[in-house]
Amino acid sequence: MKNRLRVLRAEREWSQADLAERLEVSRQSVNAIETGKFDPSLPLAFKLARLFETSIEAIFIDETADLG
Amino acid sequence: MPCSTNNPAKSRYMRRFSLSMLLYVLFLVTAVWVFVHHHPSGPLAWLLAILPALAVIGQIVAFGLYLREEKDEFQVALGVQSMLWGIGGTLSVTVTWGFLENFLQLRHLDLIWIYPIFCALSGIAYGLQQLRYK
Repeated sequence: MKNRLRVLRAEREWSQADLAERLEVSRQSVNAIETGKFDPSLPLAFKLARLFETSIEAIFIDETADLG
Repeated sequence: MPCSTNNPAKSRYMRRFSLSMLLYVLFLVTAVWVFVHHHPSGPLAWLLAILPALAVIGQIVAFGLYLREEKDEFQVALGVQSMLWGIGGTLSVTVTWGFLENFLQLRHLDLIWIYPIFCALSGIAYGLQQLRYK
C-alpha cells in the first residue's frame, strides 16, 4: 500500500533506523512498509499515526477508495 | 531461521535452538553408542530411538515460541512465509521422489531426511526473503 512515511520521516529528519527504534521494530520492517511491500496491521498503523500525530488515512493512501 | 540477535525474542530463539541442537547431538550419539554396544530391546530401545526425535521436536517448538514472542509483525510474516515455502518445497520434493521410487525403483528416501530437507528449503526461502527486503 502506498504511503507518505518517507515524507513524514523527512519532515522530522528521522532515518529508517530512528523510526524503527520508535516503533520497536527492525529497520527492515520500516523499509518494507515504506516501500509498500508490507502492509502493517491496524495496531501498528495506529502506532504510526500516534507517532506522527496524524490519522491513518493521512499516512496510507487507499488506492481503491475511488473505484466504488 | 531468524539469525540476528538484536531483539529479545530472537535471542531466546537462538538459545532454545542451540540447546535443542546440543541435546540432539547428545541423544543421537548416546542412542547410536548404546545400540551398537549393548543391543537394547523393549521400552529402553523405544526410548533411545525416540530421544533424538524429541530434540528435533524441541527445535520446532522453539520456532513456534519465537513466532509467538516476536513483537515485530514483519519478522513474524517472514518466518511464517519461509516455513510455508519450506513445507511446500518438502512436500513437492518428497512426493516427486516417492513416485520416482515406485516407477523407477530409485533408492528409498528414509523418512529421517524430511526434516533436514524442510530446514534447508525454509532456510533458502528465508535467505531469499532477506535479500528481497534488504
